[in-house]
Amino acid sequence: MKAVIPAAGEGTRLRPFTSSEPKVMIPVANKPILQHIVEALVECNITDIVIVVGYQRQRIMSYFGNGEDFGADIQYVTQSKQLGTAHALFQARHVIDDNFIVLPGDNLVNKETIQDFLTEKKGISVLITRNEHPSKYGVVSMQNGVVKEIVEKPVESTSHLISTGIYYLSTDVFTKIQEMMYDNIYDLTSVMNSLKSEKPLYGVHTDSMWMDAVYPWDLIKLNSAAVTNTAPSSKGVIEDGVTIKGGVSIGEGSVIKGGTYIEGPVIIGEGCEIGPHACILPSSSIGNDCSIAPFSMVQNSIVMDGVNLGPSSLLDSSVIGEGVEIGAGFNSHVDTVDMIVDEKLEKVENIGCMIGEDTVIAGGVTSYPGVLIGEECHIRTGVVLREDISPRSTVF
Amino acid sequence: MCGIVGYTGINSVGDILLRGLKRLEYRGYDSAGVAIVENDGIYLQKTKGRIRDLDEDEFPYGNVGIGHTRWATHGKPCDENSHPFYDCAGEFAVVHNGIIDNFVTIKEELTKKGHEFTSETDSEVIAHLIEDNYDDDLVATVQKVVTKLKGSYAICVLQKNSHRILIARNQSPLVIGVGVDENLVASDVPALLDYTNEVKYLEDGDVAEICSNEVRIWDSLGNAVERETVEIDWDLEDAEKGGYEHYMLKEIYEQPKAIHDSLLGRLFEFNDVDFKRYDTSFIRIISCGTSYHAALVGKYIIEEIAKIPCTVELASEYRYSSPSDLLPFTILISQSGETADTIVAAKEAKLRGCKTLAITNVINSSITREVNEVIYTQAGPEIGVAATKTFTTQLIVLYLIALELGLNNNKLLREDAQEYRSELRRLPRYVKVLLDRSEQIRKVCKKLVEADDIFFVGRNINYPVALEGALKLKEIAYIHSAGYPAGELKHGPFALLTESTPVVAILVKDHTFEKMLGNIGEIAARGSPIIAVGDHDKELKKLSDELITIPSVPPMFSPILVNVVLQLLAYYTAYELDCSIDKPRNLAKSVTVE
Repeated sequence: MKAVIPAAGEGTRLRPFTSSEPKVMIPVANKPILQHIVEALVECNITDIVIVVGYQRQRIMSYFGNGEDFGADIQYVTQSKQLGTAHALFQARHVIDDNFIVLPGDNLVNKETIQDFLTEKKGISVLITRNEHPSKYGVVSMQNGVVKEIVEKPVESTSHLISTGIYYLSTDVFTKIQEMMYDNIYDLTSVMNSLKSEKPLYGVHTDSMWMDAVYPWDLIKLNSAAVTNTAPSSKGVIEDGVTIKGGVSIGEGSVIKGGTYIEGPVIIGEGCEIGPHACILPSSSIGNDCSIAPFSMVQNSIVMDGVNLGPSSLLDSSVIGEGVEIGAGFNSHVDTVDMIVDEKLEKVENIGCMIGEDTVIAGGVTSYPGVLIGEECHIRTGVVLREDISPRSTVF
Repeated sequence: MCGIVGYTGINSVGDILLRGLKRLEYRGYDSAGVAIVENDGIYLQKTKGRIRDLDEDEFPYGNVGIGHTRWATHGKPCDENSHPFYDCAGEFAVVHNGIIDNFVTIKEELTKKGHEFTSETDSEVIAHLIEDNYDDDLVATVQKVVTKLKGSYAICVLQKNSHRILIARNQSPLVIGVGVDENLVASDVPALLDYTNEVKYLEDGDVAEICSNEVRIWDSLGNAVERETVEIDWDLEDAEKGGYEHYMLKEIYEQPKAIHDSLLGRLFEFNDVDFKRYDTSFIRIISCGTSYHAALVGKYIIEEIAKIPCTVELASEYRYSSPSDLLPFTILISQSGETADTIVAAKEAKLRGCKTLAITNVINSSITREVNEVIYTQAGPEIGVAATKTFTTQLIVLYLIALELGLNNNKLLREDAQEYRSELRRLPRYVKVLLDRSEQIRKVCKKLVEADDIFFVGRNINYPVALEGALKLKEIAYIHSAGYPAGELKHGPFALLTESTPVVAILVKDHTFEKMLGNIGEIAARGSPIIAVGDHDKELKKLSDELITIPSVPPMFSPILVNVVLQLLAYYTAYELDCSIDKPRNLAKSVTVE
């Protein structure tokens, strides 16, 4: 059976982290979100994978190639204009000749999630899950295991069950999509609502992992879930006097200097220089070629490739984009704050700062909880960042 | 790296052969030819030069034929040495790719028997061998003939009044394309894809008979065998190119990863070579082409960081130079490790008593067997003929060597080494940032496409980078370009500067910046368009028509970034001019002949 993964979108709401990478290539646990999905599929013996690419497609294609390195056989189809989820799927019609599953490229799932679906599915099916914020998704109403209706982003939701966007479909769906595209309908939910009047759409429930990344702060939760089962391993150099506890993975060529304390789950990439006397606490991912200077602490954060964190800094519940340079004594304050979500305020718990790629932060800077700093900014010495900073700004 | 195509079927063969040869152009060639079976004979046309130099109007109508592009090995490129070859009677026509090691002996024997040869090639002996052994059964004859050949070969044979092609292979590539009412054969799949995507790969020692509706194959023992028909996935190449239009662009974009991989496990502790075992008080670097430019940058790197005197020589010149009593520690750089000139130079250096180190990208390549020490660049495979990521990683290795040498001889302070290391670690990211700005570079290329001549100028460590930029443009955009040290302009080249000679100038903020600004002013006075690449500067912006800035790094590391800009300049210029970017004419990826 083949799997189709729509991955053509840009993910504008995840800015600044999609300023140069497509959404599905954002790393959690040091791997693109899309790679987690591909690996979960391969673990379930689904190796024929079709990826629908579009925005920055070469970033995806050059990373995954023909899939060989991931134990998969990957084909690509291009969606040149991102009209909608059904339109994305439609691009794969030439390479699909049997029943198949489709799963969004930007939702984190694991082997269990896919296994739940594969064993429980009957006929045309959708995977559904419980969610605390159903009104952000397609809310599903069910009767005797069959879906009555999927309502996309309802104002008032009557149930906590939502569609994961993961479907088991037959090739009929392409005819239906084509029909509906004549009426300028391009989203898969509408197509499925129409299709289910012709044959039953079964709902399969899962409690396994399914996490959506819509806003930058969602990445912290995704990361924390993805690193949970990190197995201890080290290909790097660990100096005397380093303490390592729990599941800590250290990549090739990385050096952990004396006095450093690392408590897993933590993933450290290749070619990093950590410490001496740094402190890396649970649920952190540190990318390739990073340096964490002495007496700094990183906790519950994503630090992407090529980041330099100066000495005596605190990074907590934060997301730091590629190539960010942070001077000495940086402090990211963490608290529960109201963030603007779809023009409404929503409480986001325990959030630090989010910094876009290549921003340079001088010494002694402090950031307020939930602050978003765009890419390529220059923050001068001693600035207190109280509000969001737009890309390429200089702040005195 | 010759190219072969053959066709038998229901269609007119002339056009098919030319198209197939075109698809094999990337293999590099210096002459071309075709043979077509016509009424009671075999028509033959061949020429030194390009495929388009063949006169298609002269071709007779025919349904079976073979074509060949020759990359000269035995015998110079000329009409006579081009393929195909007749036997004495003109009964057979033969094309061959590979090298027949024992052709001299065969040729002598056949000459004694009265065979007359028209070329200096090894290949021609095959046609005469077939004639000599022919006994009314061409399959049996070819099977017999190949047992007499020592070396590598892919062979196609035509016979008068026959609609079949006999083929044989050993260690040279040959693929059969299986069509409907037509079958083809070629050195590589691209020549077949216009007609079929079903192919059969032959194994060493196989002989096959290709008819329009049948393919029969025998193994080296003469047993009839089946070879699996493989369907070529049309999307496959696309995936290999990673969504980029050319391998070259893909490889340019792979540089952040290549740098990362090249530094991996070496940046903090360098264990590849223990330089303390050698006398490294004087260093010589030897190489060719792009690697030579890397060597020239390496000279600056080693002299600046390790304070060790360093000379650079071209491999093809070094071997003929006079030996001296000085025995420099000799570094040889070859991407493929198969570059014939560099391998010979390695042997020569050893002969002269020097200790040698090879920098190469290919594990266990030939050069690694000729030297005392090897450092691999870890760039991953490079397919585009124009070297990109391998040049970059050669520089990375040279930085690492210089750091190690400098620390060993106490000329480099530990804190400076630490600073260099942090900068090296940042390089992958800086290159990535630069690549994200490629749109600007693409626009600048519009200023280059119209030019007949382009100057590249730089000073100090960026002078060799100017040479490399000029080489890239020559290689893939076919525009004459030359790199000069900026200070040398007024000693001659200035005479060539006109308003239609764009000048690509490299200016980074090192101790030569002011001097460079002066040079730019002089060039601007001649009205030549100036494309500046380097650090941001107000004065420079005023003087130049375009300024492409690089992320700010110490001048020592600027070659890596400047070179990425020049790679993209060459790429997009070639792209605008619709050149064959991955397979430039007349060039081969690894030059395995001297």
